[in-house]
Amino acid sequence: MSIEVKNLIKKFDDKVVINDISFHVNNGEILAIVGFSGSGKSTVLKIISGLIPYDSGEILTSDGDIAMVFQYSALFDSLNVFDNISFALQERKDLKHKYSMKDLQKIVAQKLELVGLSGIENKFPSELSGGMQKRVSFARAIVTNPNTILYDEPTAGLDPMSSTLIEDYIVRLKNETNSASIVVTHQMSTITRTADRVIMLYDGGIVFEGTPKELLKETNPYTKQFVTASLDGPMQLKA
Amino acid sequence: MITLAQYLKRSATYKLFTTLFSEVVMFLDTIGGIIQLGIHFISRIFKDGISGKELAAQCERFGISSLPITLSIVGMTSIIVSSQVANEMVKQGGADFVGMLMTILIVREVGAVMSGFAITSMIGSSLASELATMKVTEQIDAIDVLGVDSVGHLFIPRVLSGILMMPVIVLIASFVGVLLGALTSNLFSGLSYRAYFSSVWLGLYMKDFWVSLLKAATFGGTIALISCAFGYNAKGGAKGVGIATTQAVVWSFIAIVIWDMVFAILFFF
Ligand SMILES: Nc1ncnc2c1ncn2[C@@H]1O[C@H](COP(=O)(O)OP(=O)(O)OP(=O)(O)O)[C@@H](O)[C@H]1O
Ligand SMILES: [Mg+2]
Repeated sequence: MSIEVKNLIKKFDDKVVINDISFHVNNGEILAIVGFSGSGKSTVLKIISGLIPYDSGEILTSDGDIAMVFQYSALFDSLNVFDNISFALQERKDLKHKYSMKDLQKIVAQKLELVGLSGIENKFPSELSGGMQKRVSFARAIVTNPNTILYDEPTAGLDPMSSTLIEDYIVRLKNETNSASIVVTHQMSTITRTADRVIMLYDGGIVFEGTPKELLKETNPYTKQFVTASLDGPMQLKA
Repeated sequence: MITLAQYLKRSATYKLFTTLFSEVVMFLDTIGGIIQLGIHFISRIFKDGISGKELAAQCERFGISSLPITLSIVGMTSIIVSSQVANEMVKQGGADFVGMLMTILIVREVGAVMSGFAITSMIGSSLASELATMKVTEQIDAIDVLGVDSVGHLFIPRVLSGILMMPVIVLIASFVGVLLGALTSNLFSGLSYRAYFSSVWLGLYMKDFWVSLLKAATFGGTIALISCAFGYNAKGGAKGVGIATTQAVVWSFIAIVIWDMVFAILFFF
């Protein structure tokens, strides 16, 4: 079991955002989390990655690095692409001094090739389009070969081809490293192309759990509303 | 009918006290937060060490880029003070002591305090907005997820550069201030340079000199720590960056005045 979340509860001030949810992700498996804006998807990822504390419950992950691809890329805008991607290798206590400049150049070039952006090492994030930034942030996240990978809307704002590129890479990486991955997404293509299982969050709870095929069958009123993007149904957009 | 307790709660006195109380709580909370980050940052120095490259870059930013503004502000303050002091003293027959008085004023107070204000408005605000922007765009989260301690990574070079560079800045600024004092006294009050500089030495105590450098280092570290702390704790989008920057500047100004008072009480009473 590579990621296990048990009875997780998270409040912001007095507002319960995650209300007692449990799920697991096996090694070599990709779980998609879907749900409307504000349903707490990013919050779940931030809790698993240790960025924010939670009120009760239990989070278990296997040893090794946890990587996260942020919703808005979160590239370091004062560093160029090379320093962004090699940041962990240059700054992390147990990794710095381990790699020569040549090693770093090789690793960065290899990761950039993976995301289809060879040769942009010296550019700064502000010189890249949003989609390119997203792909660079992807390369940065996987530089330490993590075995738990959390993607917060990895394909949002990408053109269809870049989306496919990233989706294929998410699957390829999982197959190669046997990592456990969670993909938060609104995009049907990303769900169907990457996910083994899907959970849907609404109002702090899990309202659907199943395979992408089952999601598309629209048997559950929640999934029906989600798949058809209807305003009528059990879920209401709210602040 | 309202009960006495309800009536009391509506009274202006009650409101005044609850407001005051919550202000005090917030004040202590803020100071507590800054001290906590300060302790965290110091503990990281021992764990992570110091990156020479980053420190050098921050020192350049802190000391070199700010120098023109700092020198202008300290210089102009010295001109203003000496134009008041010199005239009066020459009239009253104290011409021999103008240089001494100016030196004491500049070395003990004007140099450090005015540099502190200049550095706060230039460097403090830029540190705060830099870290606040990183915070609201999740760059600080990204540092932590990549396995690097964000407080250590960001605070160590920035706060240390403040501690190291501020004494240098104050030293240069005070020197320029004393020189401009001479120029002003000469131009406006006809005081000879010889008269001015022969009394400068009378006003220059070794103790003042060291206290001034210590004070400068304290100011520099405090400005950098406060500015980094407000940036680091920023919340929300662009508005949060603005709020963090304003607060960093206000709190740095207050801290400078408080430290200055502490130094005055400790060393000159
Ligand atoms: N730091 C915070 N302080 C207070 N409330 C927060 C904080 N972060 C998130 N929230 C609240 O928690 C809820 C869930 O936010 P979250 O960002 O996890 O949603 P999301 O599902 O990722 O939405 P989106 O699809 O828009 O990215 C929202 O109502 C939000 O207002
Ligand atoms: Mg989100």
